[in-house]
Amino acid sequence: MDYILLLPVVFPILAGIILLLKKEYQKRTTLLVSVGIVLLLTGGLAFGGIFLAEEGITAFYLTRTLPIFFKVDTLGGFFAGIVTVVWILAGFFSFEYMKHEKNEKRYYGFYLIIFGILIGLGFAGNLITMYLFYEFMTLASMPLVLHSQTREAVMAGLKYLFFSFAGAYMALFGIYFICHYGATLEFAGKGVIPASVLSEHSTLFLVVTMLMLIGFGVKAGMFPLHAWLPTAHPVAPGPASAALSGVIVKAGVLAVIRVVYQMIGVEFLRGTWVQTVWMTLALITVFMGSLLAFREPVLKKRLAYSTVSQLSYILFGLAVMEPEAMSGALLHAAAHAFIKVALFLCAAAIIYQTGCKRVEELRGIGRGMPVTLWCYTIVSLGLIGIPPASGFVSKWHLAVGALHSGIPVFSWLGPVVLLVSALLTAGYLLPITMQGFFPGEHYDASRFEHKEPSVLMLVPLLILAAMTILIGIMPGILTGALDAFAGWVM
Amino acid sequence: MEIIRNFPCLSILLAMFSAIISSALKGKGARWLNTFVIIVVGALSAAALYMTMTTGESYVYVMGHVPAPFGNEIRFGSLEPGVALFFCVIMLLSLNGGRKKLLLEIDPGKENLYYIMVDLLLSSLLALVYTNDLFTAYVFVEINTIAACGLIMITERGRTIEAAARYMIMSLLGSGLFLIGICLLYDMTGHLLMSYIRVSIEDIVASGMYHAPLLVTIALIVVGLAIKSALFPFHAWLPDAYGYSTVSSAAMLSSLVSKGYIFLLIKLIYRVIGFDTFLNSRIINVLFVFGLAGMIMGSISAIRENDIRRMISFSSVAQIGYIYMGFGLGTSAGMVASIFHILSHAATKSLLFVSGVGLTDVSGGHKEFVELTGSGYRNVAAGIAFMVGSLSMVGIPAFSGFISKLLFAQAAVQHNQFAKLLPTLIVLAVSTVLNTIYFMKTVIRIYTPTGGTSYVAPGNARHEDQKYASVSIKENPLYVITLLCFIILNIILGMCSQPITDWITQGLSVFA
Repeated sequence: MDYILLLPVVFPILAGIILLLKKEYQKRTTLLVSVGIVLLLTGGLAFGGIFLAEEGITAFYLTRTLPIFFKVDTLGGFFAGIVTVVWILAGFFSFEYMKHEKNEKRYYGFYLIIFGILIGLGFAGNLITMYLFYEFMTLASMPLVLHSQTREAVMAGLKYLFFSFAGAYMALFGIYFICHYGATLEFAGKGVIPASVLSEHSTLFLVVTMLMLIGFGVKAGMFPLHAWLPTAHPVAPGPASAALSGVIVKAGVLAVIRVVYQMIGVEFLRGTWVQTVWMTLALITVFMGSLLAFREPVLKKRLAYSTVSQLSYILFGLAVMEPEAMSGALLHAAAHAFIKVALFLCAAAIIYQTGCKRVEELRGIGRGMPVTLWCYTIVSLGLIGIPPASGFVSKWHLAVGALHSGIPVFSWLGPVVLLVSALLTAGYLLPITMQGFFPGEHYDASRFEHKEPSVLMLVPLLILAAMTILIGIMPGILTGALDAFAGWVM
Repeated sequence: MEIIRNFPCLSILLAMFSAIISSALKGKGARWLNTFVIIVVGALSAAALYMTMTTGESYVYVMGHVPAPFGNEIRFGSLEPGVALFFCVIMLLSLNGGRKKLLLEIDPGKENLYYIMVDLLLSSLLALVYTNDLFTAYVFVEINTIAACGLIMITERGRTIEAAARYMIMSLLGSGLFLIGICLLYDMTGHLLMSYIRVSIEDIVASGMYHAPLLVTIALIVVGLAIKSALFPFHAWLPDAYGYSTVSSAAMLSSLVSKGYIFLLIKLIYRVIGFDTFLNSRIINVLFVFGLAGMIMGSISAIRENDIRRMISFSSVAQIGYIYMGFGLGTSAGMVASIFHILSHAATKSLLFVSGVGLTDVSGGHKEFVELTGSGYRNVAAGIAFMVGSLSMVGIPAFSGFISKLLFAQAAVQHNQFAKLLPTLIVLAVSTVLNTIYFMKTVIRIYTPTGGTSYVAPGNARHEDQKYASVSIKENPLYVITLLCFIILNIILGMCSQPITDWITQGLSVFA
């Protein structure tokens, strides 16, 4: 029965490879229909895997002690679920958007391959499987960054690659030690390394944890290795940067949780310098990301900086090591995934319809693209944290968890920084709405007339905006499972 | 089963005689004879491997009728035939990958000369792998050197003659030191058969005599073989020798010739000097440091290189550094990792050389990176193969390079000395990032289309290059099949490494 875990991983990867190897399609529709069918089928299989699978399945053995093993737990299912929803929506959005880009077949080929890899990342049942898919994810997402093949894109791709690999090898350094000392590599509740070993080699394991945090933190854009993110995300085609910025960064968060909570264990880390450094880095990133986004005139870059900031909300919530902060962080991960994808898709729709990339060019855009701008506004409110949109609930849990933790200084400094950053978020997102709908009396916005994008672009946007509200109103559908998970690992 | 015991000796003789016969044959005949011999030797080695794996023992084969301790012997457990089989596979693939190129590069009528050299190389490699006699080892080291020089300068172009001369001088220096070492050993122990030398050395060490001479001897032998296998400070000859020779030669030199010497060194460490004596001699720490330095410096040189062939060559310096670093750890886990890396690097490096030439051929023969832009589209098979090789070198899971790095790291983590544990892991990480820089740079370069960013309609998005012609897969099926075999070999090493490490561990246990 649990073979169903392998299907959503293998099927899109195979489909993607076949697509890459095939000759060019004569008709664009044939390509799109086949990609659409693969996306929907994989989505069905993925949800089948999330809900039906009980035991894990070992695909094969890399070496005798290192099985490639798949199993779904709450976190993995949560991640795979987000991936599936976002990937299908952004995929349908690209059907329209990619009309004006070349090399479409290659784009969809890699798009499908990454879909499978990300689901594999979610379903990974042990550390080595996760690392395997983590590396594959970096490699397979490269072509999306390189897509336009301009000099700018190639340089951004190289930057992405070097930061990612440097991070991955810092993490691998730690994996070696966990392999050696750990009782098992399977993800467990409260760490796999025996307490006696931890107390004997405590300095070693603190250093190792810090390295793994910084290493996996690269993908999540944590300071000091965040610089690749605002360079690499905006150069990809619109829907791809949405997927990169909304979902692939979450892989870093997933890996951090897996390692810190499920391999090392928080009992050991609570109150150590690692926790202090981690919280400091996260708060610096939150503030710095918002500030940089505030100063950034190019819309897609502004959104990328915003990702840097928002991801560190999540990391801060994890660093506090309190159950409530953790479920808040995970909820924020889901909320941010939908919101950031929606924001990038809005930016993509605007670029597709008008060619405007800079914020000051968007004055009066609400005249011609009201639905797009409304979607943008709703999800922006969600990101800022205004009820009833989803960001409010998650940030509430984050702040309450931080206050409960009782860590000196950080228990109050954290919420303060989060609030200041929320103000900055409002400062960099809302002016576009305001100037878009109210360009001023004498401003001529006629060049935006009748620029509303087609249904294929609008429907994904509307669905994402609706989901943002839905999570805000009924967070209970997710928090139940997330609270249980937080209780399990703490 | 009894008859299989003769196979190692038979395979050495077969390769030797085929070289002699080839001198009377025309090019085509020599080529077929060579292919036939490699396949037969591979089959013989496979049979010997099968026998030793089932019995799990090692066998001694007495050459002639002079009994030990005076006669000449061949000794093999499961490690030796396995390595011989692997060498045969790599040699056959490297030759197939460069056949077409070879015909274009050498003067007409010299083809049989090339295959004579290849036959000699095969026989000397087999002898280095199988022999149990120190002087026989020296003789075949020299044969190996001469054959390698011939392989380098067969094209007789300006740079290759210079490269061969350089290789000759450095190599002879190495074999000279090695010879002095052997003489000293003979002087101290009175034996040439490896197993007997070790017994005497154990006595010498126990009695506390000859402390300094023994140290000097070990140093001479190790340095001699290190020069020949291009360990870091002695690598100056390598980039020219690999960079300018014909592609089959480069692939064989990097993946077989240097590996043959390293295998001989392993044999000397285990069977002649004794692992414990070697461990206590502190020369092991020198190897460790040189290995680490090589891992970094080789990669840095590769990054600064603007010629794809020389870049791949410098990467060999780094990889040889990995192998010596594994020796330097001084544990059996480190040794297993090193031997696995010998196989993994041999498979990957020859793949890189063979696919690299496919890329340069569709770039007008230029080896500079600027000219290689977009060559991955012009020769699809070579592009994919080069990418696989690069990913393996970088250490992406599922390819062989990852497993070697994993084994090295596991060996390091198990190490009880912190002074070796930390440098190993740190240098391993740094070197991996450096590998990433130059290999990924190249992969991106070969997949960057030339000719600006003009819009291409979705119907014919395949980029047609105006400057250089493309090569389709059907034009050179042998080349494509070779690359495919290399890729499969690489993935087998990466995905099913457990039987291979088991085999190495088992082989090492009966090696001494």
